[in-house]
Amino acid sequence: MTSQPSRNWAWGLALLGALLAPLVVGNDFILHMMTLWAIYSLLALSLNIIIGYLGELSFGHAAFFGIGAYTSALLVMNLGLPVWWGPVLAGVVAGLFGLVIGFVALRIVGPQFAILTLGFGAILQTITNYWVDVTRGPMGISQIPAFRIDSLGLDFALAQNMYFLALGFLVLGIYACRALEKSRTGRAYVAVRENPELAQSIGIDTFRTKWMAFTVATAMAGVGGSLYGHYLRVITPELMSLTYMSALVIMVIVGGKGTTLGPIVGALVYIVLLEWLRAVGSWRMVVFAALLIGCVLFLPGGLVSLWQRLLQRRGRS
Amino acid sequence: MSENTNLLQVQGLSRRFGGLVAVQDVSFSVAAGEVVGLIGPNGAGKTTLFNMVAGLMPPSEGRIVFGGRDCTPLASHEMARLGVARTFQITSLFPHLNVLDNIRTGRYVRQQQGWLGAFLRRSAWRQEEAQVQAMALEILDFVGLAHRSEMLAHALPYGEQRKLEIAIALASGPHLLLLDEPAAGMNPDEGAKLVQMIQRIRERGITVLLVEHHMKVVMGVCDRVIVLDSGRKIAEGRPAEVVNNPEVIRVYLGREKVDA
Repeated sequence: MTSQPSRNWAWGLALLGALLAPLVVGNDFILHMMTLWAIYSLLALSLNIIIGYLGELSFGHAAFFGIGAYTSALLVMNLGLPVWWGPVLAGVVAGLFGLVIGFVALRIVGPQFAILTLGFGAILQTITNYWVDVTRGPMGISQIPAFRIDSLGLDFALAQNMYFLALGFLVLGIYACRALEKSRTGRAYVAVRENPELAQSIGIDTFRTKWMAFTVATAMAGVGGSLYGHYLRVITPELMSLTYMSALVIMVIVGGKGTTLGPIVGALVYIVLLEWLRAVGSWRMVVFAALLIGCVLFLPGGLVSLWQRLLQRRGRS
Repeated sequence: MSENTNLLQVQGLSRRFGGLVAVQDVSFSVAAGEVVGLIGPNGAGKTTLFNMVAGLMPPSEGRIVFGGRDCTPLASHEMARLGVARTFQITSLFPHLNVLDNIRTGRYVRQQQGWLGAFLRRSAWRQEEAQVQAMALEILDFVGLAHRSEMLAHALPYGEQRKLEIAIALASGPHLLLLDEPAAGMNPDEGAKLVQMIQRIRERGITVLLVEHHMKVVMGVCDRVIVLDSGRKIAEGRPAEVVNNPEVIRVYLGREKVDA
């Protein structure tokens, strides 16, 4: 087992690299991709709480991402709130939706839960699509105000600034997930995944534990949605679609579910492949599907488990 | 036996599944510090009775009093909080966690600091985690798995998995430990070691109620034995008395020789 200090070291080094990267890159397009990577990583980390720790497959996660994006944009634009309230309110509202939906959906487990969340996600997308008075329907919302700090002259519509803001949120997300892993709360999540009957017998209220975890994960997705909306400044009901849902699932599973590093690596792989394969158009989806199936069959621990396999092989020889 | 030395009192407990009566009007009590065995032929209702005491299944009738408090309606996670831990008939672990993490997880109910404590790195959280670590190592040693701490639970040999189950239950800091056929699948040598372990568990001040088929284990460790047949209690007493009880011999032991 890797000792704690050496792991903290590795995380610190990675953070330093991420902070210095823009100096080396200097290319707006790549910075834009890096900003999206940080936001997607946050979203993938939130889904990982459900898939990786609780061990339930949720197909409704993109809907909470969308709720966050819409809540933030609509409240800031219609009520004239300061844009920085966006992520907070997005987290609260998405979390409230998660609280209600989780209360219903978490009574069942396994494939039925996955299908039910798919259903809830589809309903939320349909409402967003047709409630034109509020959401402007399929047209989406444009000209969403970007984050800005006027006193410093910082405009976060620019990738060179937004990258650091998104990275800040990501670091907070990573730190929160690491704290979770080291607390009794996180151990309870994993216990529920590993053996619900035994978890219950050692005093874990399995339903309540899953409910709280689901709510936290959805709130986190809402925050991610807010960042996304205020950065790209255009959102449509597409955010809640199967495309985004499957993208998040691919990031978590291909990267490595149940770990903090996995979803972040998964988000990177997704974004790089998405751009790299742009030339082949819709065939990208086939590549992603193959990647997902390949990981499920041959690499259940995801790409990050390759590293562990390598270490084990070295240890043996 | 006076009221307040009884850790567990089961009063007129019944459980029906549709038309089937699995447990019928069973009463008994377990005093603090005792080791009590629950025996009976297959289908006698032992596991059903066990599940009711552990809060896994509500009784159709009757009361369960634990530590002087009526616990009849409590669920199993609430019973765990009060200090009732159990093991299962079929091995039940956290398979993809290592041995030490299995035991740590078992401590859940005695910890106060959750995610926020870890997030803020509160000193109370640090202290608690250090205590959990020390406790886990002590229990690891107690059940004789110190050499396996890094191994994944599912990779352990069967006999050690059964030890780990007991370790997880002990980690929750129970007053009463319910063991459901702890000697199942064990050879006589392992059975003898189990008897020693149960005795050492009692020395920790933990009361034990066990369901068991292996008569050697029951005779070796139990202060008192309760015999069930077809859901009813038919005898209760010291192991030596019960084995010679004609009713017990007729319904249970008569069919097969005591495999002691």
